[in-house]
Amino acid sequence: MAPTKTASQAKPRTASSQQSPVLTLWNAYNETTSTRLKTIDAFLVFLMLSGIIQFLYCILVTNFPFNAFLAGFSSCVGQFVLAASLRSQVNPANKNEFKEVSPERAFADFALGSIVLHFFVYNFLG
Amino acid sequence: MAVGIFSWFLISLAVVGAHAATLTLQSPRFTISASDASQLRSEPLSLAQKPSTALSLGPSDVLKLTFQVVDKEGGKGVQPHQTFLRFYDEVTGEEGIQPVKVTPGGKAKFELNMARPPTSLPPTTTNPLKVSLYLGSFVHSPVQYELFDLVVPPSQPPAQHTEEASFHLRPEIHHTFRPEQKLPPKIISAFFAALLAAPWVVLLGLWSHIRPQVPHLFSPAILPFVATLAAFEALLVWYWVALRLGQVLLYASILAIPTALAGKRALTAVGDRRLGKSSK
Repeated sequence: MAPTKTASQAKPRTASSQQSPVLTLWNAYNETTSTRLKTIDAFLVFLMLSGIIQFLYCILVTNFPFNAFLAGFSSCVGQFVLAASLRSQVNPANKNEFKEVSPERAFADFALGSIVLHFFVYNFLG
Repeated sequence: MAVGIFSWFLISLAVVGAHAATLTLQSPRFTISASDASQLRSEPLSLAQKPSTALSLGPSDVLKLTFQVVDKEGGKGVQPHQTFLRFYDEVTGEEGIQPVKVTPGGKAKFELNMARPPTSLPPTTTNPLKVSLYLGSFVHSPVQYELFDLVVPPSQPPAQHTEEASFHLRPEIHHTFRPEQKLPPKIISAFFAALLAAPWVVLLGLWSHIRPQVPHLFSPAILPFVATLAAFEALLVWYWVALRLGQVLLYASILAIPTALAGKRALTAVGDRRLGKSSK
């Protein structure tokens, strides 16, 4: 994913340090990632945790209002996908791959996709 | 079916040969022998009455029946056009029809080998089968002789017809439904609901750590867009609470117009600012 990409760019700078690779990666991420991308990343982590907890509830306890589970879980997954694509499109490192997609256009797509997703999610919520 | 055709056939013969000469059997005789060819019983048959004891066949015995069909007046051998043996079980109603070959001279020989019973032998029980002979001819009046009773080893019960069940009252159908699903205990649900607050804590913690800057959120160019997006979300919540699908689609299509306009204006402003920044 994108974080590894930014980290690989930063590698030459921190390669000489004697830290563990994971710590190196974390530091590189902290140093080189812009605040906006970090905001999106925090949102992605939030969605992932929410989805995991809902899924655990479904398999450990019950899936009884199955429509509610579907709504909650699919909203997490769908929002994750939308946010991840937003992140990859606004990432300056990917500028060459998305030449014709400006960050504003990416955000408009994200907003439209989110509204459609939420419409379906509320349909399922029952 | 076979019985129907057969009786129709007999009736038609009776009509044709109502006043014709009659047929009779000369020297009818049966022989029962065991599988090793030793003779167990051999008697002439009388057309007037059946043998006093029923004929009995073991599982590997052979019954031989010989007779000659002759004209009653002339005593000459006649080959009837149709010659049948009928095996009939009065108790179960099962019957079987077996054609018998007759030579032009009227002589006939029928052999029933119980080791290899013919398919025309009906399914049998311990009840005796009534064996009768039917003769049909175009020039003679038809005739039927009750020959003897025959006891053969019981066979497998007849296979049930595939549609037999349709002719009886079927057992009543009792539907079983899956039991109503239950909600888990409140405390477990409450625990997981509280657990779902954890990602929010993480999110808010991370965001407060990152401190994203939104300096222009309340600028006149951007605020309408944010407001219309919030209105969309509010509309969807309203849909969940009260609205119907048609209503929400109508309202959403109305709301889409200002949202698109505000979005275009806001994102253009953001884009200008970004390009202006980058050109600096």
